[in-house]
Amino acid sequence: MSIAYIGLESWRQLKNLRTFIFTFAIPLLMLLIFGSAYGSAGAIDKVTGLPWIVVTTVQMAGYGGMMAALGQAFNIVTERSLGWNRQLRITPLSGTAYLFSKVVAALATAAVTIVALIVISVLSFHVDLSFAGWAMAAIGLWAGVIPFALIAVLIGQFAKPTFAQPLFMVVFFGMAIVGGLWVPLQILPDWVSNVAQVVPSYWLNRLGQMGAHLSGDIVQPLLVLLGWTVALATFIVWRYRRDAARS
Amino acid sequence: MNQKPAIELSGLRKTFGRITAVDGIDLTVGAGEVVALLGPNGAGKSTTIDLALGLAHPTAGTALLFGVDPRTAIRHGRVGAMLQGGALLPTMTVAQSVGLIAAAHKHPLSVTEALHRARCTEIAGQRVSRLSGGQMQRARFAVAIVSNPDLLILDEPTAAMDVEARRTFWQSMREFTDAGRTVVFATHYLDEADAYADRIVMLSAGRIVADGTPNEVKAVVSGRRIRANLPVAWTPALEAEVAALPGVRSLERRGERVTIVSGDSDAALRAFLGRFADAHDIEVTAHNMDDAFLALTEAFRPGASDPEASERSGATRAPEGARA
Repeated sequence: MSIAYIGLESWRQLKNLRTFIFTFAIPLLMLLIFGSAYGSAGAIDKVTGLPWIVVTTVQMAGYGGMMAALGQAFNIVTERSLGWNRQLRITPLSGTAYLFSKVVAALATAAVTIVALIVISVLSFHVDLSFAGWAMAAIGLWAGVIPFALIAVLIGQFAKPTFAQPLFMVVFFGMAIVGGLWVPLQILPDWVSNVAQVVPSYWLNRLGQMGAHLSGDIVQPLLVLLGWTVALATFIVWRYRRDAARS
Repeated sequence: MNQKPAIELSGLRKTFGRITAVDGIDLTVGAGEVVALLGPNGAGKSTTIDLALGLAHPTAGTALLFGVDPRTAIRHGRVGAMLQGGALLPTMTVAQSVGLIAAAHKHPLSVTEALHRARCTEIAGQRVSRLSGGQMQRARFAVAIVSNPDLLILDEPTAAMDVEARRTFWQSMREFTDAGRTVVFATHYLDEADAYADRIVMLSAGRIVADGTPNEVKAVVSGRRIRANLPVAWTPALEAEVAALPGVRSLERRGERVTIVSGDSDAALRAFLGRFADAHDIEVTAHNMDDAFLALTEAFRPGASDPEASERSGATRAPEGARA
C-alpha cells in the first residue's frame, strides 16, 4: 500500500476548490438562514437539551460531511470512465489501495467540511458551547461519516457515468431526510423515526449531538455504524474481486 | 538485469462470449528488443497487450514478464505502458499527473527527469484538458516512463499525432531504447514499424501471421499486383508456367484476366511480356497493407481449398523460416 500515493491523492482533492464549493454551499446557506432565523434567541431544543443553534450546526455539519464523502462516488466514476485507474493498474498500487485512497480522501474532505461549518457557526452566532463540546461533536460526526465514504466507493464501483447522478440523489436525499438531517424527526411520521434507527445518517447526527453533550450512550450508534461499515466493506471487496475475475 | 525474456506468451487465448479476440499466441521477446505489433483494427493487438500486462485474464495460456507473472513485474516497477483507453485526468496538470503516478511507484525517476525525457518540460504546467493530441501522447509517455521501466509497452502511441509530433515522439523513444531497454509497440502503420522496430510481429484475427525483421515482413506485405488480359487458351500447365516466371509470387485468373502478385514487379513484368507479347490492358498497382493482411489471414483459414492458399502461406512462412 502506497502511503505517498494516498497522501498525494487526498491532498490533491483537498486543493480542488470547485468540488468544495458544491458540497459546502448548501449546508452553509441553510446554516446561515436557520441560524439567523432562530439561533440568536438562545432557545433550547427539548428533545436533545442542547441550544437550538448547536443542533442546527451539528445537523448541517453532518449533512456537509456526508455530502463531501458521498461526492467521492463521482471521482471514482469519472476516473473509471476516463481510464485513469487503468493507468494506475500499471503501477504497484493495488485495487484495494486505490479504493482505500478514495476512502481516505472522502474522510479528509469530510473533516474539512465539518470543521469549517462548525467554525463558521461559532464565529457567526457566538454559540455558548465549550471547545470540548464542539471538538467531540466534530469527532462524532466524522466517525459517523465513515459508512458514507464506503457507500461512495460502492456507487463508484457500480454506476455508469449517466447513472451515478440519479443514484447519488436517491441515496443522498433518502439518507438526509430519513436520518433527520433536514427536518427534525419528531415532525415526521412515526415509522420514519423507526426506520431512522438503522440508518447511518441518523446516527451520524446523534453522534454529533452526543459529542456536543459530552455524554450519551455511544454503544448503539457504534454498533449500527460498525455493522454498516463491515457490510459495505464486504460488499465492496466481493464486487472488486468479481470484477477482477471477469476481466 | 536478468536473462529471462522480457515477454513470454504461450498458447495465449482470449474469448469474449462467442468472439475470439486472441487465438493462440506464442511470442517471446528478448531483453533489449524493439518489437512492433502490426495489424489492422480488430487484429487482437490491444487484447494481446492487456493479457501480457495481466489487465485481462487469458481464457487459456500464460503470460510472463521477466519470468514472473505480469502483476509481480509491474509491482517491481519493471513495466511501463501507454494503453488504449488509459487517459489522464483532465483537471490535473501534466506535472501533477506524472507526480501522482510517481507516488504510486517505489523507485520512480524524479518528475522533472521523466518530463524531460518525454519532451514535456514546456507543457509541465498545462492542464491535461488543454493538451493537443500530440502533447497528450507525450504526457502519457512521461507517465509510462516515470517508473524507469525495463519494458515499455505502447498501444498505438502515435495515434492522433501529426507528422512533426510523431517524429519528436520517436526521438524520445530512441533515447529510451538506446539504453538497452525493451519496447513493444502496437501500430497499424507499416512505415512506423519498419523505421523503429528490430522485429515486426504481424497479427491478424488474433493470430501471429508473420514474425521477422522489417525487411522480411516487408517482403510479404509489400509487392505489387500486375493485371493483364491474355487472350490464349488457358490450361493448368500454362498457369503453372506463368507462376514459375521470375518474381511471380502467386497467380489468379478469371477468364482471360490474370492477376499476378509479385515481389519484384519489374522482373515479373519483363519475363511476362517476353513470354506473352500479346498481353494487353496491363496494370501494375501497389499491393497495400490491407491486401497483405487479407492474404495472410486467408492463408490461415483452415481447409482453404483454393490453390493460391498454399502459395500465400508459403510466402507467410518464409520470414519465420528466415528468422529461425
